[in-house]
Amino acid sequence: MVLAAMVLLPLAVKNAYVMHLFIMAYIGILLGMTFSMLFSAGLITLGAGAFYAIGAYGSTLLSTRLGLSFWAALPMSTLITGIVALAIGSIIVRHPGMAFTIITLLFAHVVIQATGQMEFFGGWGGIIGVETPDPLGPIQFATKTSFYYLILFLLLLTALVFHALYTSRIGRVWRSIKLSPPLAESLGINLYRYRLMAFVVASSAAGMVGSFYAHYFQMVTPEAFGGWLSIYIQLYAVLGGLEFYILGPAIGAVIMTFVPEYLRIAKEVEPIITGVFLLLIILFFSGGILGTLRRFWRAKRPVVFRVKSRHKLIAGPNVLRDE
Amino acid sequence: MTTALFVQLVVNGLVKGCTFILIVLGMDIILRGTKILNFAHGQFYMLGAYTLFMLCRLWHVNFLLSLALSGVALILVGALSYLSVFGIVQRRFTATTPFTYRFLMSAMASVGLMLILQQGTLIAFGTTERGMPSIFPQIIALGDVRLSLEKLLIILLSMFICFGLYLLMYKTKLGLAMRTVSFDPEIASLQGVNSFGMFIICFALGSALAGVAGGIIAPVFAVTPTMGTHIIFTAFLVLLVGGIGSYKGAVLGGVLVGLALSFGFQFLGGIAELFVFVFVIIILIFKPGGILGEVLD
Repeated sequence: MVLAAMVLLPLAVKNAYVMHLFIMAYIGILLGMTFSMLFSAGLITLGAGAFYAIGAYGSTLLSTRLGLSFWAALPMSTLITGIVALAIGSIIVRHPGMAFTIITLLFAHVVIQATGQMEFFGGWGGIIGVETPDPLGPIQFATKTSFYYLILFLLLLTALVFHALYTSRIGRVWRSIKLSPPLAESLGINLYRYRLMAFVVASSAAGMVGSFYAHYFQMVTPEAFGGWLSIYIQLYAVLGGLEFYILGPAIGAVIMTFVPEYLRIAKEVEPIITGVFLLLIILFFSGGILGTLRRFWRAKRPVVFRVKSRHKLIAGPNVLRDE
Repeated sequence: MTTALFVQLVVNGLVKGCTFILIVLGMDIILRGTKILNFAHGQFYMLGAYTLFMLCRLWHVNFLLSLALSGVALILVGALSYLSVFGIVQRRFTATTPFTYRFLMSAMASVGLMLILQQGTLIAFGTTERGMPSIFPQIIALGDVRLSLEKLLIILLSMFICFGLYLLMYKTKLGLAMRTVSFDPEIASLQGVNSFGMFIICFALGSALAGVAGGIIAPVFAVTPTMGTHIIFTAFLVLLVGGIGSYKGAVLGGVLVGLALSFGFQFLGGIAELFVFVFVIIILIFKPGGILGEVLD
């Protein structure tokens, strides 16, 4: 039903600005999903914005310098981002934990600095005049509606691929790594390879979104990828619910795009509201929106075989705990 | 390159390095004691600079006294933020909470705190740069090498603080308690150490170090609301180079990165940061835990 609503949405919404907000929300969902994918493998990234930027710049350079059309630039920039992620990831995934998080954050910072400093990437002014996608048969990419369907297609495609990964053996391996790396390793799982795989897949997806972004806005500037972007991306996942790898970011991104817009909060105060919001979620609703809902749902259902321990387990497998 | 330029670059690098050392030592104390990666640390540094600016410039308090006062102010800010945010987050954790979840929750809480502090200061003080007149404007001339007394004093003062910190951590009972808690809070509790109290002290001490770093640098650089965000990236670099959770590593990393940035900006311009980052990545290939740290999971 939600899917039908998403497909039919342009028929109901005629306002171009609202369409724009929906497109931005979908971009947010896609980026949030890349964060969730790494989280599912026990890695916390603060650098999703970096690969988003690499995809956008890669696509921009391919289409402005080499004159490639969007349909060639999109897969190629996805590939480029994947290669960069493989190169960086093969070094940094070796030591997960805090070091990984810090390096991804630094990498995001450095990518923005590098694109801003180098003339090749257009400097701080960015590159303007990126071509819109070539017409695909009868479909012209001139209106917001056509871009809406394009991002919707990308979103559904990515969600399907991610869902397939999560339900396959790979997804189960990722979750086992998250639960306990030593346990997973003792079962003969190559931690490094699976973590690297999650890193490359998630980063390529971010690169693909970046490519879409460049052709949608028809310009790229370093500022668009810097600042609070990487932090907002995680906020989407945390707000929606960390344990829901696809739906969590979806709900979080939609809320974070539309609520500030309709509350008409002054731009100055917005970060404070976001910060307070974030603290409240973490302090009182640590499962995010979906996690909290699920807890209420479970509490209502009569469960026959449920052991509710009042004691904290000192040691033992995490699966025994409620939640 | 003349000798004068060389010496000046070294001194500038050391001044930068000293700020990094103080900030990263604060981070390390928080990280080892409470296992929180505090993203709001840069904002604590900024608050320290603003406190000093207000005390010293607007109310004409003595420089050293206002430096101490900005440290005290940040102790309060740190303790308050630990009690109101991180303490509540950490109290929910049990022994079986996965590391990823622990780390993410406290890191995200600090990101929330960072956004609030950053934007709050921006609204309260505006975006204008606040300059302070030099406290010690004298210039020391040794042959053709000219150095400002202030920068030398900053280096001396930071070394003094580091030494005091060493005495506190390794020669007093409080330091022993803090180190025990950072080893394992539950074992510390068994030995009669108040773990929760130690968490607060670690967090407050780390914040105070950031505040003092901000205060010490305020007379040299302009005080702006964004100074915290700028320094935090470099501070993370220092943390990685030296090794996460290693005090000696913080000192070594601070000096290395400070010098590298000082020389890099002189000869390469703004791209220097990129080179330092690549350099750090190369170090991490060979020494995954940083130069003096061990790999923490």
